[in-house]
Amino acid sequence: MAAAPRHKNRIELLQGTLDLLILEQLRWAPSHGYGLSQAIRAHSGDVLRVDAGSLYPALHRLERQGLVRAQWAISERKQRTRVYRLTPRGRRHLAGERSKWEQLSLAIAGVLNRAGSSEA
Amino acid sequence: MKWPLWHWQQGRQLDEELRSHLAMAIQDRIDRGESPEHAVAAARREFGNVLLVRETVRDMWGWTPIEQFWQDLGYAGRALWKARAFTVAAVLTLSLGIGANTAMFSVVRAVILRPLPFAEPDRLVAVNEMDLRSATPPALSVSWPDFFDWRRDTQTLESMAAYHVSNFTVTGLGPSRHVPGAVVSANLFSTLGVEPSLGRAFREDEEDTGANVVVISEEFRQRYLGSAADPVGRALAVNGRSFTIVGVTPPGFNFPVTSPPTELWLTMAEDARVEDPADTPMTRQRGAHFIQVVGRMRAGVGLERVQAEFRTLSAALARSDTENHAHRGSLVTLQRDAITGSAKRPLFLLLAAVSCVLLIACVNLANLMTSRGVSRQPELALRVALGASRSRVVRLLLAEAAALAIASAVCGVVIAWWSLDLLVGLAPRDTRGLQDVSIDTVVLTYTALIAAVSALLVGLAPALRATHGNLRQDLRATRTTTGARSQRRWLNGLIVLETAVGVVLLVAATLVITGLDRLTHVDPGFDTSQVATMRVTLPDSRYPFTKKVAFYDRLLPELSRLPGVEGAAIVGPLPLTGSRYTISFELPGNSVVDAERRLSAGFAFVSPGYFRAMRIPVKQGREFTTADTETSPRTVVINESFARQYLPGENPLGKRIKPGLSTTETETPWREVVGVVSDVKQQTLNEPPGPAYFVPHTQGLITTPHIVVRASGAIDAIPEAVRRVVAATDSELAIYDVRTLQDRLSNSVASQRFTTFLLTLFAGLGLLLTTIGLYGVLAYGVTQRTHEFGVRVALGASSRTIVATVVGGALSLVGSGLLLGVVAAIALARLMMAGLDFVQPPDISTYAGVAVVLLGAAVGAAFSPARRAMRVDPVRTLRSN
Repeated sequence: MAAAPRHKNRIELLQGTLDLLILEQLRWAPSHGYGLSQAIRAHSGDVLRVDAGSLYPALHRLERQGLVRAQWAISERKQRTRVYRLTPRGRRHLAGERSKWEQLSLAIAGVLNRAGSSEA
Repeated sequence: MKWPLWHWQQGRQLDEELRSHLAMAIQDRIDRGESPEHAVAAARREFGNVLLVRETVRDMWGWTPIEQFWQDLGYAGRALWKARAFTVAAVLTLSLGIGANTAMFSVVRAVILRPLPFAEPDRLVAVNEMDLRSATPPALSVSWPDFFDWRRDTQTLESMAAYHVSNFTVTGLGPSRHVPGAVVSANLFSTLGVEPSLGRAFREDEEDTGANVVVISEEFRQRYLGSAADPVGRALAVNGRSFTIVGVTPPGFNFPVTSPPTELWLTMAEDARVEDPADTPMTRQRGAHFIQVVGRMRAGVGLERVQAEFRTLSAALARSDTENHAHRGSLVTLQRDAITGSAKRPLFLLLAAVSCVLLIACVNLANLMTSRGVSRQPELALRVALGASRSRVVRLLLAEAAALAIASAVCGVVIAWWSLDLLVGLAPRDTRGLQDVSIDTVVLTYTALIAAVSALLVGLAPALRATHGNLRQDLRATRTTTGARSQRRWLNGLIVLETAVGVVLLVAATLVITGLDRLTHVDPGFDTSQVATMRVTLPDSRYPFTKKVAFYDRLLPELSRLPGVEGAAIVGPLPLTGSRYTISFELPGNSVVDAERRLSAGFAFVSPGYFRAMRIPVKQGREFTTADTETSPRTVVINESFARQYLPGENPLGKRIKPGLSTTETETPWREVVGVVSDVKQQTLNEPPGPAYFVPHTQGLITTPHIVVRASGAIDAIPEAVRRVVAATDSELAIYDVRTLQDRLSNSVASQRFTTFLLTLFAGLGLLLTTIGLYGVLAYGVTQRTHEFGVRVALGASSRTIVATVVGGALSLVGSGLLLGVVAAIALARLMMAGLDFVQPPDISTYAGVAVVLLGAAVGAAFSPARRAMRVDPVRTLRSN
């Protein structure tokens, strides 16, 4: 398995977190699927890699839920592609999910820190 | 609910989106300095399986039942593509069956099922008279006075019109033309519910003499008057008199239904007119039965009530006018049935036959599918093991049958489309509606329907059988001997059924072939080679009786003198034109006034030289000569049947008879028999010989005769030569109905030939398919029993015994089918006889012939499998297990 070492540092995303990451990315600017995958990878320091098999079903699911809207457009590379943007509903949803996530991560961090300090 | 189209569009958009993703990823890598090949490979690897991504997204959209069906079809299509030999054989078989059915149905639809092109055609009835003494009475014509009475008295019909076909000569529009037309009552068009497209229909007062108005057809207008000009009000010279055009019928209107179509309509004023004021016009002769009647039933009135009313009306008529109406009843039928008439039953029979072919094709295919189901057992077992339900697997197998049926339906329509011209070309020319035969939506619906039924027939049983039992176990088993045995029984049952249907078809074909053969070998009683026939209409206005006779007396010698002409004569009616005149007569000492027992026989008037020109042998006495004139003693020639029936055991020459026929004399005269000729077939080749008598044309020219010209050399030049002679005599006359006697003879059996050809074709197809099916089952059986044969050979069985086993198996299958088929054929024979007038009941030789053909086919089908069984190598077979 030649490809195996390259995936060593990847972290499996928790259920639902991919949606959050996508919506967060779209908060800054509309983007196409490829742009989103690149951005998530770059902003996670190359740790989070979203493969197409997860990304596109998620995008289409969000579109169905009315959280994003897609339009055909020409990319910066003159490539005709589908560009997704956040809808007002998506923006509200993101805000809610974001605060939930922050509470969750605080909670997890709290638990981990206590465990870490006792270990130290 | 989402429609396939939506999914299809979404799918295309998704594909493009994914492509753009890949393209951008590759571009990025190239920009970073990777080599293009490496960039493409790496981007692909990173992206993962495009198909899987697509399926995942699509699954999220959800599947519709229709899409599932398409998906199943897709699987089926791929599976069929992999088994191409099977698919080609299957589609070929089924598309032949479906194609033949489609073509046949389109003919049946055009000729029988398509409604008449009149307003509310189901309310139109044909009213005829009939002879109450006859068991299967033919429809007889009506007389004008009868019609007037009925029209006055009827309560059940809201409108009633009369007509008779008549041919007119039109002059003044280029050369004289002969035009098919009709003399009608003024309300014909309103009864049919047809409005003229230009001008008006006839008014009621135009039924009286002196009206001189004519309605023309659109086709007549375009052909002779130019479509631009408005013809209404123009004068038209018909039969030498001037008529005013008052209306033009819509395009395609043809009533009375004739071929070629009716083009001119005159009112019955034409029949009310007389040359001599002392004569009785046709409209007042109650005994002159020659018109047809069409009526429109009142809304809500059924056919039975009309029939009941007319029974009462004709019973009253029979009481008040015994002379003309004893034994005459009325016959009311739907106009549709009256027009379709005799074409109906043979066509339905052919449709039934072609359905049998399709049934055989379906059985063959079911056979193939079953064998295929067996060989696919492991695959199906795997599907079940992976969680497919039985119904899902059945659906998959049914989808395969559906895919085959769809492909076959498409091919079948193409086949039908190709064969339609052939079919129409073969059909008898004068069949109504043939020109309208086409593959329209109704026909296509029928095709779709039979394709769907075929798919079910073909797919359902094999699918149920293939998924029968414990498929999970089959996954482990490599060979299921017991299953194979039940499978073989099922296949054998199908073959027996198929053979039985084939036998019925073969019996039918044998019957029509022998029937037609018998018919075409019937001696018509005259020599048909080298005889041209034609007619010329002499307008009554310029040609009263004596002038007509004078015209022919001048014409015939001139024609006889033409080079290449052996003899010329006239006759009315000409044999094999479909007409027969029957006129009553008296014998001395048997002058029955009682109409009930009045004798009658076939009648024709002929000119001197007619029997010679037709080569009808004169058995006794002489034929007519130029000495038999209008003023000479009255003479008559009888045929042998007449002599046998009415003058038995005596010399007929010199005997006297008194036909109820007169031309210029006030009293019907006694006539002396001067000759006896042999019998001829008058209407059809099928008819039994009957008594007939002939009178000289100078004493009995009562209708437009046919001119018959026997050529000594080439016959092709004759019509033109006759045309020149006729035109030289009177430039306004036109000859028409020009055909050789040979052509008339062959046309008289056209419908029988059509039926025979198609039935034979269908039986041949059925036999071929049955043989192929038998071969398939035998070959499959041998393959399955290779092991058994190997063991038997190893134990000392000779190859002869093995061959005998295979051939014996084939013969026992075919034998069972034969037995079953013969029983069915015996049961169905009567049905066939009712539909086809020229067929005689099947006898032992029929069945023997069919048996020989079938057994021959069985041996042929068994040949190759038997050889294969013979060559089974016991060592190899035994080692392989």
